Amino acid sequence: MNEQRRDILDMLAEGKITAEEAERLITALERQQPTASSPDARPKGKARYLRLVMDAMEDDEPTRLNVRVPLQLLRAGVRLAALIPPRALDQANAQLAKSGVPFDLTQLKPEQLEEFVEHLDEVTFEMDGPGAKMRIFSE
Amino acid sequence: MPQLLTVRIKRSGGRRIRVWVPVLPVVLVLSPILVPAVLAATVACRIFHISALGALGAGWRFVSALPGARFDVEQGSTAVLISIR
Repeated sequence: MNEQRRDILDMLAEGKITAEEAERLITALERQQPTASSPDARPKGKARYLRLVMDAMEDDEPTRLNVRVPLQLLRAGVRLAALIPPRALDQANAQLAKSGVPFDLTQLKPEQLEEFVEHLDEVTFEMDGPGAKMRIFSE
Repeated sequence: MPQLLTVRIKRSGGRRIRVWVPVLPVVLVLSPILVPAVLAATVACRIFHISALGALGAGWRFVSALPGARFDVEQGSTAVLISIR
């Protein structure tokens, strides 16, 4: 349920508007918003997979990349990455700094990465270039 | 744990190759190699001061999370699909 619909129902519950007015408002709201059958609509519920879909033209041939990664796999990867010894992280930091990327990997905590993965189900990333189109979303 | 690995290759000539790899039988066949590999990994964990149990747990969790993964790339008339179930 989206926020605007919830607000309307709250107003109805509080007696601020009548049932007819609430119905009119919800109908108007549905007209404004894309219907569930639109291509961008996603089924509600907990996302299980992260999808990457890319369409591009390479060597005058259409190229399509379609990758589906279980979010559980990303979480497991984060746990696995947490095992990297600090000495290796220091070496990686030094190399990153040498390449002009002053990023401290030791500051990246597994809990933060897990939180990031948890919130991936709310993310839709779309990139539209002259010869390529990429979309990252969860389902 | 993954049960089946599917590999599909479509070549430019229209030839298609489909391979279904049942994971459990393959793991059983490879078990004589896997046991020394696990032992070597345990030694490596000790050398690099990593908890061997933690690494084993994280590795198992990673393998268990593989089902559902799918990689599909298509260019012109050629295509490769790798799917884990």
